[in-house]
Amino acid sequence: MSANAVEIRGITKRFRDKVAVSNVDLAIRAGSLCGFLGPNGAGKTTTIRMIMSIFYPDRGSISVLGKPSAIESKDRIGYLPEERGVYKKMKVGEFLTYMGRLKNLPSHGLDQKVRAWLDRMSLGEVYKKKCEELSKGMQQKVQFIAAVIHEPELIILDEPFSGLDPVNRRLLRTLIDEQNAAGRTVIFSTHAMFEAEQLCDHLFMINKGVKVLDQTIDDVWRTHDPRSVIIEPIESGPVDEGLIQSIPGVIGVTPAPRGAEVRMDESADPSRVMGELSSRLRLRRVELKRPSLEDIFISLVGADATPEGMAAYAERELVET
Amino acid sequence: MNRTFIVAIREYIATVATKGFMLGVLLPPVIMLAVFPLMQVLMNQKSPKVTGTIAVIDHSGVVAPKLAKAFEPDAQRERQKAKIERRKQAMGSVNVPVAGLDPEQMRKQQEAAVEMMTVESDIRLEPLPPTSDVEKEKEAILASVGREKDLDGTDKRLALLVVPAEAVKGGADGKYTPYQSFVAPKLDAEVQGDIEREARRAIIDARLEGANFDSKQIRTLMAEPEAKSVAVTKDGDRGTNRMAAIFVPMGFMMLLWISVFTAGQYLLTSLIEEKSSRVMELLLSAVSPLQLMVGKIVGQLGVGLTILGLYAGAGLATLIVFKQAHLLDPVMLGYLAIYFIIAFFTVAALMAAIGSAVSDIREAQSLMAPVMIVLMVPMMLWLPIQRNPNSIFAQVCSFLPPLSPFAMILRLSGSEKVPFWQVPASIAVGIGSVVVLCWAAAKIFRVGVLMYGKPPSLLGLIKWIKYA
Repeated sequence: MSANAVEIRGITKRFRDKVAVSNVDLAIRAGSLCGFLGPNGAGKTTTIRMIMSIFYPDRGSISVLGKPSAIESKDRIGYLPEERGVYKKMKVGEFLTYMGRLKNLPSHGLDQKVRAWLDRMSLGEVYKKKCEELSKGMQQKVQFIAAVIHEPELIILDEPFSGLDPVNRRLLRTLIDEQNAAGRTVIFSTHAMFEAEQLCDHLFMINKGVKVLDQTIDDVWRTHDPRSVIIEPIESGPVDEGLIQSIPGVIGVTPAPRGAEVRMDESADPSRVMGELSSRLRLRRVELKRPSLEDIFISLVGADATPEGMAAYAERELVET
Repeated sequence: MNRTFIVAIREYIATVATKGFMLGVLLPPVIMLAVFPLMQVLMNQKSPKVTGTIAVIDHSGVVAPKLAKAFEPDAQRERQKAKIERRKQAMGSVNVPVAGLDPEQMRKQQEAAVEMMTVESDIRLEPLPPTSDVEKEKEAILASVGREKDLDGTDKRLALLVVPAEAVKGGADGKYTPYQSFVAPKLDAEVQGDIEREARRAIIDARLEGANFDSKQIRTLMAEPEAKSVAVTKDGDRGTNRMAAIFVPMGFMMLLWISVFTAGQYLLTSLIEEKSSRVMELLLSAVSPLQLMVGKIVGQLGVGLTILGLYAGAGLATLIVFKQAHLLDPVMLGYLAIYFIIAFFTVAALMAAIGSAVSDIREAQSLMAPVMIVLMVPMMLWLPIQRNPNSIFAQVCSFLPPLSPFAMILRLSGSEKVPFWQVPASIAVGIGSVVVLCWAAAKIFRVGVLMYGKPPSLLGLIKWIKYA
C-alpha cells in the first residue's frame, strides 16, 4: 500500500462554463490529520466529492487507499457530507443500523455497536426516537456515527463543526483526534480556524479552484514568520515611540489598545528586539505576534480585514457564484 | 448481503409499514368486503307495516260502504298478495342475467326483494257523517303526525276522503266532479296509491251501478290482454358471457393500473424525500447511484406485488364465495404477472428519472403532468378495446410501449381470442422498451441525484442522458 491515503494529480472539474476545481495536486499521507480550508465556493466540496467518486473529474486522476476510485474501497471510507440529511421518519437506531449494513458490517453485533456509539455521544435515549425529532446538532452527531461506525481507514468530513455548540465542538474535536490516534487518516474541510489550528498536522487551502497552500502546520508557522511584537507598558499613557524606533531592526510602531505593535524588518532577530524592548521600557507584556490561521487565510484569499476589503471580497464572491 | 438488496428491503418496509399504506391500500378492499354483508342486512330491512284509519265524508252515500268492503282485512291481504305476484312476474319477464349469476339463485333473490319492497298495510275505514266539518277533520291528520297511535289511543288517521255527491251522480252540466283526498305528509307512497286507487274504483263502481250496469262484469270485460314476451337469442348463455366480457377485462386492467401506479407514486415520493432531506449524499457514500436506483425500484416492485396480490386475492376470494371462479382463466393470472412486471418497470423508470431530477414534490408536478396524461390513456382504452378486442386500434395499442401491457391485458381477458403470436411479440416489445427506459433513467439518475436548484424540463432530462 502506498504511503498516501489519497493522491490527487492534476484534477480539473468544470460545471458548464464555471471551473470549480482547476489542476489541483494533493497528496494526503496515510495516518495524517488534514485540514482543508478555503472560502465559500472555493471548490472544497467538489474536491471532496471527487475523492468520494460522487463526481468524476474532467481531467486528472485520483487514487484513494491505493485504488483508482473510491467506489472500490467504499467500505474503508467514512464520509460526512456537507449536505447532510437523515430519513425523517426512520428511528435513529434503525437509521444507523441501515447505514452500517450498507457499509457491509455484519448484522450480528451491529445493534450493540450502534447503542455503544449513541451512548458515547450522550445520545443513548434517542435510539427509539424518529430522526426528525432530533435537534440539528444531534442529527449531526448521528451522522458522524454513520460516518465512522464501520471503522474506516479514511475519514472525510465536510464541515463537521458547522452548527455545533462549543460543548459539542469540543466533543467532536476529541473524537476526531481519537480516530486519528487510532491510525486513521482524517480529512476535514472547515471554516473553523480554531479547530483547524488545534487539530491538524497538515493544511491545504484552495481558493477559486486553485490550491494556494499545502504545508504541514509547522511549516505554515515557519513560513508565516512573525514580524511584529506586541508590547504593553506597566504605566498607562502613550509609549515613547522615538525610544523604540532607535532599536536596530525596528521599522515602525503603531499604537494598539493598551500598548503598541512594533514591526521589524526582515533581517531583525525577534528575540534580540524583544530583549532590547524589555530593557528599555517597563513592560507588563511583551510577545511575538503570531499570525492566526485566520490572518493567513485572509491574506491568501486576498481580502484585507478592512470593511472595504471585505465588501470587495463579498462582491467578487457574488459575481463568481 | 448484497447492498442493492439491503436498499430494496428498507424501501419496502419504509413504504409498507406506514399508516398511510395501511389506510390507503389495505382499507379499501376491507371496506368493500364489509359493505357486501352490510348491504344484505340493509336490504333485508322490511319497511314497517302501515296502520291507521281513513276517514270518509261521503255525500253520495254509496261510496263509503264499497270502500269499507275494500279495506276489510281479508280484502287488503288479498290485494297485497296479488300485487306481489304481479311484481314477481314483471321481474321475471325482464330477467337480465348479471355476470353469469346462477339464474335460480337470482330469481329467489328477486322474489325476496319484491316481498321486501311491498309495504304491508292494515287500514280501517272510518265513515264520518256527511255533515262533518272538513277543516276540523283535517286537523286529526295533523295531530297524528309523528305518532304511533292517536292521542286517545285509537289508530291514527292517515287520510281524509271527501266524496261529493256530484262525483257519483254527475253535476247539473252532466260532468263528474273530482273527489278530495287529504293525506298525512309522510304517508307511504304505495299506501297512498292503494287508497286512492280503491277510492277511484269505488266511485266508478258506484257510477256504473247508478246507471244499472253490472260493475263486476264490466271490469272483467275491460281487463287488458297481456303479452307473454320471450327474447329470442342464439343460446341462453349469451347474456351471461356478455356481462363477463365487459367486467372481467375492466377488473384486470384496474388491478394492473392501481398496483403499478401506487408503487410508482411511492417510488417518486421516496426519492424526492431522499433528495429534499439531503440524505442522498450519505447514501451515495455507501452505494453507487445504480445500486441505489435498482434497490429502490426492486423494493417498490415488492410493494406493487403486495398490492396486486392483495387486490387480486380479494377479487378471487369474492368470485369463489359467489361461486363464479369459473369466469377466470388461470392462465390470465400468469399474464397479469408478466404484464405487471413490464408495466411496473416502465413506470418505475419514468418515476426514477423524474424523482432524481427534482428537489421537491412541487417541482415534480410540472414534469409529471405530461407523463400522467400518457398514463391515464389506459383508462380510456377500456371501452373501445373491450368492445372490439381485435380492432386495428387495439392491436396498435398492444405494441405501443407504455400502453402495451394495459391493452394486452384488456384483450386477453376479453371474449375474443387474441392471435397467439401477439402475446410473445408484445412481451418482447415491453422488455425492449423497459431496457431502454431503465438505461436512460440510470443516466438521468446519476446526474440528477445530487443536482439541486432549478429543475430541468423534459427536454433538459433528455440532454442529461447524453451528458452522463
